[in-house]
Amino acid sequence: MKGYFGEFGGRYVPETLLPALQELEDEFSAAWEDRGFRDEFSGCLRDYVGRPSPLTHARRLSEHLGIEVWLKREDLNHTGSHKINNAIGQILLARRMGKERIIAETGAGQHGVATATACALFGLTCAVYMGTRDIERQHMNVERMRLLGAEVVAVPTGTATLKDATSEAIRDWVTNVDTTYYLLGSAVGPHPYPTLVREFQRVIGEEARGQILEKTGSLPRAVIACVGGGSNAIGIFSGFMNDQVELIGVEAYGDANGRHGASIRFGIPGVLHGSRSHLLQDQNGQVLDTHSVAAGLDYPGVGPEHSFLSATRRARYELVDDRQALEAFRLLNRLEGIAPALESAHAIGFLRQYAPGHEGATVLVNLSGRGDKDLHTVLQEGL
Amino acid sequence: MIAEAIRTSKRAVIPYVTAGLPDLDATGEIIRALSDAGAAAIEIGIPFSDPMADGPVLQKASHLALQAGFTLDGLLPRVAKWSTGVRAPLIVMSYINPLMRRGMGETLVRLRDSGIQGVIIPDLPSDASGIHEICRSIGIDLIRLVAPTTPEERRREVVSQCSGFVYAVTVKGVTGARSNLPAEVRRQVQDIRSLTDLPVCTGFGVSTATQVEDMLSFADGVIVGSHLMGRVMESKTPVEESRKVLRMLMM
Ligand SMILES: Cc1ncc(COP(=O)(O)O)c(C=O)c1O
Repeated sequence: MKGYFGEFGGRYVPETLLPALQELEDEFSAAWEDRGFRDEFSGCLRDYVGRPSPLTHARRLSEHLGIEVWLKREDLNHTGSHKINNAIGQILLARRMGKERIIAETGAGQHGVATATACALFGLTCAVYMGTRDIERQHMNVERMRLLGAEVVAVPTGTATLKDATSEAIRDWVTNVDTTYYLLGSAVGPHPYPTLVREFQRVIGEEARGQILEKTGSLPRAVIACVGGGSNAIGIFSGFMNDQVELIGVEAYGDANGRHGASIRFGIPGVLHGSRSHLLQDQNGQVLDTHSVAAGLDYPGVGPEHSFLSATRRARYELVDDRQALEAFRLLNRLEGIAPALESAHAIGFLRQYAPGHEGATVLVNLSGRGDKDLHTVLQEGL
Repeated sequence: MIAEAIRTSKRAVIPYVTAGLPDLDATGEIIRALSDAGAAAIEIGIPFSDPMADGPVLQKASHLALQAGFTLDGLLPRVAKWSTGVRAPLIVMSYINPLMRRGMGETLVRLRDSGIQGVIIPDLPSDASGIHEICRSIGIDLIRLVAPTTPEERRREVVSQCSGFVYAVTVKGVTGARSNLPAEVRRQVQDIRSLTDLPVCTGFGVSTATQVEDMLSFADGVIVGSHLMGRVMESKTPVEESRKVLRMLMM
């Protein structure tokens, strides 16, 4: 069915938003067919974002683990993460649609910074919703957004994290739907967002496939990425969908007290923020509180295409907890001179589980962002 | 008989009450008081952790009710008692996730068996035909919303799948009292009327007797939620307060 990935996805939104979603779907289809739009998008990615991002052989980490680790360096993009690919793509769409006010939600602040950056680049008004808890732990990104001219709107309700910031952004959109473009930051939300975000992130997988073939002469055994809403993962997966390659998403297993963000592993299909997918919820259908040391993974839902890939077993979803992610953060600093975002550190952390039994295998890890924003948290955690 | 109750009401006001606030006993008493005070029908709001179509007042009401331990399992046996003793038909308003949690069909049957006559689901999927058929076969009204932005073709489809009444949303936005309501809503109600014999009721933002009066000059009924719940949450005597609010709106 249109707008679904198997039984997942759809458009579960207030009636007021339906025409706007239809308009967005139509506009995106037209733009994606339009050579001029494609050229403009890839031009921005090349000349402003700095693509293609490099593929780095993590030599010392490989020796340490006994597998061949290659890192797709989304951390080297302008603004420091993969989020900028999607932000630029959607800003070009918003301009095509004649929208002058942009709103976004953010957890780690990376999507907020990417959106504020794209708005500054094109002279558009920008408001970013962010939970008060995330404002505290990702303070540097809050200041960056303000410097870029964006208004950061604090969301104190609910768990005061990404989930509530997203709800508040949707409320803004329902209210200002005529003038406002909602620049959603992950492969979640109502149709067409999960598809549109995947297409704007597909560049990661397409580049990486070419690069690893060029450098190693073959495809990797596995492609590994962290999964919050799932945009960096779906971006890199989409380059390898039809290959004989394991696709592995890494979910946040949180603290030792059973609080986590592992929606696919522990969730039950349900509806949050406009689509049906795996959702961490109680037996009454109330959404559960989540926890992850990585703000960008601290979310009870997941993109519907990941639910589908899990159900069809094309991809599998594994767990890395706070402690393992922090350890991976330290390890990558020491062995490779790279500070990964705590989100990306979950993907790195999984390598310890993967290596035994896969000695010598080549794996490709999406290093979705850089970790400067997380220094504060890491120091607090005592590493 | 929701449609009938609205048609025969001289001044059809439909209050919205968040269930479980401050507790379920109070909800029962509030519902009885509202019915006695002349409510045409009553919407029972099911609290949800992430109410994306609600403004600050109903978000808070939802949050407090959940903190106080609200569950659907706790509510339904009580509704069964209330519904036999209350004149006004009872309608459930709920986000879709709590209704789907243990199967949509099964939950709708449980609602019907406790005496609920209709459901309103603000985040029904855009291709909701499946649910409207389930509702029809179960014998519970599916009240659907038509927004100010809804295009004609979609309006036709939504109205054709609707029963009980058609809910015309007055504003682009979330729930919550507003001092000014857009004039276009009159036109919107007329457009809906040309498609159906069902009553057409307006809601979102209504808080004063003047607004009610205004709306009832062209609509068959008016829904009042945030204004009532705001007053209920501020009051030490919520039952009395609800009665007072409704009387004032009906003046
Ligand atoms: C660097 C980085 N990686 C990953 C994520 C998780 O999002 P997604 O799953 O959409 O890639 C975030 C989100 O904030 C992020 O900042």
